[in-house]
Amino acid sequence: MQQNRKVERRTILKAGGASVAALGLGATATACGGGSGAGDGTVTIRYAWWGAEDRAKRINETVKLFEKKYPKIKVKTDFQVYTDFWKKFNTQASGGNPPDVFQNAIGFLRKYDAKNVLLDLSEQVKAGNLSMDGFRAGLEKFGEIDGKLLGVPVGSNSMALVIDKPVYTKAGVKPEQGWTWDDFDAAMKKIRDKAGRAGDTGPYNVMYLYDLYLRQNGKAFFTEDGLGFTEADLKDWWTKAEKGVESGIYADQKKVAQIKPKSAVAAELSGGEFTWDNFTVRYSSEGKSEYGLAPIPTTDGKKTGQYLGSLMLSASKRTQHPKEVAQFIDFMVHDPEVAKIMGYDRGVPATQAQYDAYKPTDPVNKEIAAYEESLVAAGVLEPITPHPNGADVCEAAFLRLGEELGLGKRSVDDAVKQFFTESKTALSS
Amino acid sequence: MGTTVTHAPAMEDLSKDSEPRHGPVKSPRPAELKRRGRRENLAGYLFMSPWIAGFLLLTAGPMVASLYFAFTDYNLFDSPKWIGLDNFSEMFGDPRWRHSVQVTIWYVIVGTPLKLLAALGVALLLAQKRRGQAFYRAAFYAPSLIGASVSIAIVWKAIFSDDAIVDRTQKIFGVNVGGWTGDPDMIIYSLVALTVWQFGAPMVIFLAGLKQVPRELYEAAEVDGAGKLRRFWNITLPMISPVLFFNVLLETIHSFQIFSSAYIVGGGAGGNACGPADGSMVYTCYLYVQGFENSRMGLASAMAWMLLVAVALVTAVLFWSQKRWVHYEEGAS
Repeated sequence: MQQNRKVERRTILKAGGASVAALGLGATATACGGGSGAGDGTVTIRYAWWGAEDRAKRINETVKLFEKKYPKIKVKTDFQVYTDFWKKFNTQASGGNPPDVFQNAIGFLRKYDAKNVLLDLSEQVKAGNLSMDGFRAGLEKFGEIDGKLLGVPVGSNSMALVIDKPVYTKAGVKPEQGWTWDDFDAAMKKIRDKAGRAGDTGPYNVMYLYDLYLRQNGKAFFTEDGLGFTEADLKDWWTKAEKGVESGIYADQKKVAQIKPKSAVAAELSGGEFTWDNFTVRYSSEGKSEYGLAPIPTTDGKKTGQYLGSLMLSASKRTQHPKEVAQFIDFMVHDPEVAKIMGYDRGVPATQAQYDAYKPTDPVNKEIAAYEESLVAAGVLEPITPHPNGADVCEAAFLRLGEELGLGKRSVDDAVKQFFTESKTALSS
Repeated sequence: MGTTVTHAPAMEDLSKDSEPRHGPVKSPRPAELKRRGRRENLAGYLFMSPWIAGFLLLTAGPMVASLYFAFTDYNLFDSPKWIGLDNFSEMFGDPRWRHSVQVTIWYVIVGTPLKLLAALGVALLLAQKRRGQAFYRAAFYAPSLIGASVSIAIVWKAIFSDDAIVDRTQKIFGVNVGGWTGDPDMIIYSLVALTVWQFGAPMVIFLAGLKQVPRELYEAAEVDGAGKLRRFWNITLPMISPVLFFNVLLETIHSFQIFSSAYIVGGGAGGNACGPADGSMVYTCYLYVQGFENSRMGLASAMAWMLLVAVALVTAVLFWSQKRWVHYEEGAS
């Protein structure tokens, strides 16, 4: 018996050791995932955004500034490029572990509100942790959906034609407010012939540009709960695109695909492309040339269909530190020092205080300011197109199918049909 | 196990461990043996418990769950809604799904035989005794170790881009198709090249198989005047056919599961996760897109089970076919 006991004890000791080791591993894993509060009253909040390296540098500086002012709040940061950001966010949010505070945009507000992910920040406004005063151009309303405050704008931006200035000069093209699509096509040909490169990366798969085109014609990409255009509309748009690709006024999609995530403009594949005006900041850090902004072509010589868009900060409904998160957002949108660090990276600052604090001195940012001022002066800004739940999936499909069209892998009819099938599925779920 | 006392030197070294078994007492009674056996089993299971728990929680559990999700509409946020076979009918009606099936089958059919050919060819070369043999074996095996890594996929993408090494080399030969990664029709071949390059693992297995072929057979054949080719065809190939079968099976299953390389080499291209115009949209890539981009976990689960069924079918066909071409030494055929 004695021997047996000996065996037993040893066995149990060994087995126990193994289990303890296993438990230990488990415990460290949980510790990494969960704990956000320490004994001394310090709390840690997680902050995530999408963007490029350049934006990350600036944001990390602002976070340092925040931590200095609020020594009891630590901020853990994380960033990805746009599409990867949403994949990661979606997975984290579904697992009940989204970042406490994160960058957001209009296209995702309804989607994640429907999924019960977004915190209604109006409680925090009432409690005095977050001020919604002092915003420019009615921006304080941008994050409001069905009476809930789901996002706080950090800046405003608008669609523009971002151009490689020397290329435009070389081709002798001078876009002016109110130029038409015919003018635009003529300009593209000039650039192709005189500057020896495609005039545009390819406007046909940019959802936000097609939206403007539709708005110029009294329609829009989305209604409150569906698509705002017909198959025939899209057929016209993409038929024109197909011709543009064939004639070489739009860039070769094979080449564009290979240089991603770098932009085709910065990679000198095209003379310009339609995107958000604050992107010149990014292109200037990516490319060697000088980049500027040109107005959106019009249908009637007047109406551009433009509106202000906005990046926002949202909070997670699951956060254990709503107060700290509100203080963080408040600091990021109101503090003048933050504006000086960020510049126009996320658009023109949303609050008057930040707008006044940063007066651009470099040509890139100066031009963004001038562009937005010119939009106000021209009186072309209108209310934003609604973004129903599923808008993001439609945008991805539009981009992808347009690209397949550009690559010659799909006929116009086929691409249109497929887009309507996919977006109907996305918008009905 | 472990109850009979052997006199192997190894056991002597572990004198402490083996002490209770040796003991001065007479040989243990059956009841005691049983009890001891049970205890040792228990200890064994305790030791395995982290892995058993891991298997149950991380593999078996999710599999059962995904089987259920396959019949539901599940977006990760709302609780799953039972929709019967709708996911499957949607899948079959979806042209993008059919495209991904096509791409995958193409990849398997082209990639697997090429990879096995490369593996067998190099194994035949390395089976002969020569100087630096160990070095060559290690060198040819190395890609298998690192080939699945993300960094290699990134390098691969660079190699096959416009004006990179492959593009320039093919231009020397007057082939002007541009970089493969931007071309919807060519990108899949860069993935085929990547898998062929990783022939090390099947090569090692082939090498082991080649070592097993009895020398006498070759000697006898040589005496009978059989040439090199004939010896390969009539001796080597039949003798290593079990190993060949094993490799075909393993590599085929493996090829069906390609994901990370396709995702990375094809990634970042516009709104696409998987290559320009879905050129490298292999099955698992589309599964990922549906699950994680479109939040359609129910559909993605259905797709995963469909893949499992397909791979099982292919495996069954391979097993059925082996009767015709695989020769086991002791067996009748």
